[in-house]
Amino acid sequence: MKLVKKIKIRNELGLHARPAALIVKILQPTKSMVNFTYRNETINARSIMSVLMLAAQRNTLITVTVEGDDAEYTLSLLEKAFENKFGEDCCER
Amino acid sequence: MYSVQDFFDEHEKNLELEILTGKAGLKRAIRVPEVQRPGLSLTGYLRHFASKRILIFGKVEIFFLRDLDVKTRIERLKGILTKETPAVMVSRSYRPPKELVSICEEEGIPLLRSSMTTMDLVIKMTFLLSEEFAPSTTCHGTLVEAFGVGMMIQGDSSVGKSEAALGLIERGHRLISDDIVRVKVREGSYLEGSGPELTRHLMEIRGIGIINVAHLYGAVCVRDVKSLDLVVKLEAWDDRHFYDRVGLDEKFCDILGINVPFHILPLKPGRDVVLLLETIALNHRLKEMGYHSAKEFNVKLLDTIAKRQSQGRSLREASKKDKN
Repeated sequence: MKLVKKIKIRNELGLHARPAALIVKILQPTKSMVNFTYRNETINARSIMSVLMLAAQRNTLITVTVEGDDAEYTLSLLEKAFENKFGEDCCER
Repeated sequence: MYSVQDFFDEHEKNLELEILTGKAGLKRAIRVPEVQRPGLSLTGYLRHFASKRILIFGKVEIFFLRDLDVKTRIERLKGILTKETPAVMVSRSYRPPKELVSICEEEGIPLLRSSMTTMDLVIKMTFLLSEEFAPSTTCHGTLVEAFGVGMMIQGDSSVGKSEAALGLIERGHRLISDDIVRVKVREGSYLEGSGPELTRHLMEIRGIGIINVAHLYGAVCVRDVKSLDLVVKLEAWDDRHFYDRVGLDEKFCDILGINVPFHILPLKPGRDVVLLLETIALNHRLKEMGYHSAKEFNVKLLDTIAKRQSQGRSLREASKKDKN
């Protein structure tokens, strides 16, 4: 199964080292192929260096492509992480 | 989209450029990697005029315009300067005719000036633009240079690409990029790989984290760009898979329409990946030099077989004669 979804980055600092590490950690037990597309660049989301290279900032959209048997589950995990601002910005608001 | 501003920022020094007017048009997109000297178009012949090209005014164009009367000059210039013109350049630091400046200003076409000679400017611009417009892609893999051979190590996550690269660096080879390789076609015939500026010289090693190789091992072990000469895919050893044992058949993989030699390297405990990668690189060099170990051995083998056959035949014939 192949799923494509645009996800917004909500946390203040954007995709810096910690969120990138979290994404890679979340994806570790999953099987699907996960790609991020940002500014015409498509990368493998399982590679932390690639995710870092995007240097994606807050309030921008990342196109997430998930392909594989557990695509739906993988995408839901990712969505949740993005939604929770990767556990950051808790003192905001 | 590649704009005139991008081009200017990148090559201002290199092409000795200055902006004369039409700053409003710096956002204009360069859509074709071509430049044009207007030449004939200034005589009013506009059929097949390539309006999307950057126009370069050299000595001939400037002097031809000077010879025209003001009205014709304006008319001819308006004929070639359209909404599609990305930019106009004047070479040899010539002072552009007033009409050219005013039209560029009105229409918002960037007017640039270079101190280079026209021919040099045309050649350099064509080269730089075709570089910029060359097909490119991003590959998942680690690019290293071993014995002068640009080798891209690919494989699934956590198969040990970075560790293999680190091993090579430790033995004096060079890292170009870890994990992400930007590949570009050069001169339409070979590939060149580089790393994104942000993660340059950085590697991620499981259990250690992000390390800066240039700082750890020194400037000698890194490189910014390198031709991509071969691809090695690391994979976990699979007993059901039959791995290449002879090396007679050469495999290739296709990247951006260019065939690159391709090797699959199965891993299992006890196999020294670094040594194996070095051997692949060396063997590649040897092949480039015209020595193909597997093929040469096969030729020798075939020779030996043929000799034995003929010897056997002559022996049999001799024994037949004896019987008779």
